[in-house]
Amino acid sequence: MSMHSQVESGHQSLRLSALVAHRHWTIYRRNFWANISPTLVDPTLYVIVFGSWLGSQVQTQGDRSYLAFMAPGISAMTAFFTSFFEGSYGFYVRLTYENIYKALMTTPVGPREILLGEMLWLGLKSAIMATAVSLVLVVLGISKPHYLYLIPLMGFLIGTSCGSIGLLSCTFVQNINQFQSVYAWIISPMFFVSGMFVPTSVMPDIIKKLIWMSPFYHGVQLAQGILWAENVGEVLLVHGGLLLVMSVALTFWMWRRIYPKLYF
Amino acid sequence: MSQPAALPILKARQVGKVFGTQVAIKDLSLEIYPGECFGLLGPNGAGKSTMIKMIYGVVSRSSGDLTVLGFDPQKDSRALRRYLGVVMQEDALDEAMTVRENMLMFSRFHGIARKEAAPHVDQLLAELSLTAKSQAPIFALSGGMKRRLAFVRALICRPKILILDEPTTGLDPAVRHVLWEKIRQLKSQGTTIILTTHYMDEAELLCDRLVIMDQGALKGEGSPRQLIATHCPGYIVIYQEDFQTKRHQFTSLKALTDHLETVQKHESQGGVPTMMRPSNLEDVFLKLTGRELDEHA
Repeated sequence: MSMHSQVESGHQSLRLSALVAHRHWTIYRRNFWANISPTLVDPTLYVIVFGSWLGSQVQTQGDRSYLAFMAPGISAMTAFFTSFFEGSYGFYVRLTYENIYKALMTTPVGPREILLGEMLWLGLKSAIMATAVSLVLVVLGISKPHYLYLIPLMGFLIGTSCGSIGLLSCTFVQNINQFQSVYAWIISPMFFVSGMFVPTSVMPDIIKKLIWMSPFYHGVQLAQGILWAENVGEVLLVHGGLLLVMSVALTFWMWRRIYPKLYF
Repeated sequence: MSQPAALPILKARQVGKVFGTQVAIKDLSLEIYPGECFGLLGPNGAGKSTMIKMIYGVVSRSSGDLTVLGFDPQKDSRALRRYLGVVMQEDALDEAMTVRENMLMFSRFHGIARKEAAPHVDQLLAELSLTAKSQAPIFALSGGMKRRLAFVRALICRPKILILDEPTTGLDPAVRHVLWEKIRQLKSQGTTIILTTHYMDEAELLCDRLVIMDQGALKGEGSPRQLIATHCPGYIVIYQEDFQTKRHQFTSLKALTDHLETVQKHESQGGVPTMMRPSNLEDVFLKLTGRELDEHA
């Protein structure tokens, strides 16, 4: 294949991947209020119940209130759950119940475009959700606005890494009910032991080491650096860098396992 | 067997497919010519759908060579599918979108601009009597309407080859006739049709040539008439005996009249009417896929 036709082919592939993501967005906005509800209600409840009510009973070290401590985690959490559920249940339903990918693959769309489109959708959706939540936190005066422009990057990286975990889980489950095991044994521990609710300094040493394997932990650290406006350069380099590496590694692993589900 | 003069539009040479240890397709060779309706027949698990999926490049082949419109589906599936329309076994329509939106969305995947796609979609919806439903959501459609819409979707790209994987399964006779009419119209306009079906009447009616497959291997090939003449000429007598349906083939009218007394005896004993008819594709199918008939020369 000549250089020109390779570029042309790559361009077509990207266009089709973007169309796959656009298709998901079109479907999403058809049930916009149903789809957006968890993203609106969950962070609001976290701010009120945990941040405000529970926070008023919690004595924190330094000047930062418990609400301000927890707030960046809420932004990261939004990207985390958005991407995991879309990558797991969303992809599984499209693959097995709706047969959408089968239909798409009667057109010039192939497995590569489907997976690229999924990653694009997971990344963008997570980035938009995390940014929207962060904006509200800033407007309410809970978080600092200085580095808000970095939040879409954080959301995108959480989206692609944690979304890949969701997609990967599709290759291990034998039916839709088994996602509950993935949620209980992988997602819940990642969520609760992340530095979002309590500083990692209070955790046992073994846990402190283990959580470095969790992309969500790095997402929370990144969100905290950005929305507290503290040590942003270092946080971006260490946790942002590791999140990027994890995102690439998980995407690569997911790709290897899920490709044969689409083309065999 | 005489072949059309044109060069084949599809060429398969010794194509094989293995899933793990299971052989799905075994050294299958066939040629399909422009403008013909070609059938792939066989019982469940014969490998028809696997072969169909290899043709449009969503299943890889384990061995052999396959070219469709000059493309290797394994290497050039994106380019190839611009010229293919596929009606899958599943309707797989987007439930959250309307009929028209579904079709316009698929036009974009084929790289057709909305301006060009919209009138063509409307025309296809009209041809398949779906105009009244164009703004309806998919869940409001009956099974027959969804199937017709799957046809519209397959025709959006003005395909050179239309692939139909059991297109009329589960449909009522009226819808089947509408779809048959559309298939014949497309064929008359020069579209090549590749069809899999479990309905022998459908295959006999639509196919110029067909193959009968069983357990991944080719058991017979030719036009419906040729297959009947080669494998099951004459007449078939069907009657009930010991709660089982017995099928007897008589290769000539003389053979049939010679055995008429035996046949009449069965009818008088069982009280179940005997059916006599010229042999058809179903008899060939049953014979070639291992359900032997009792033959009487």
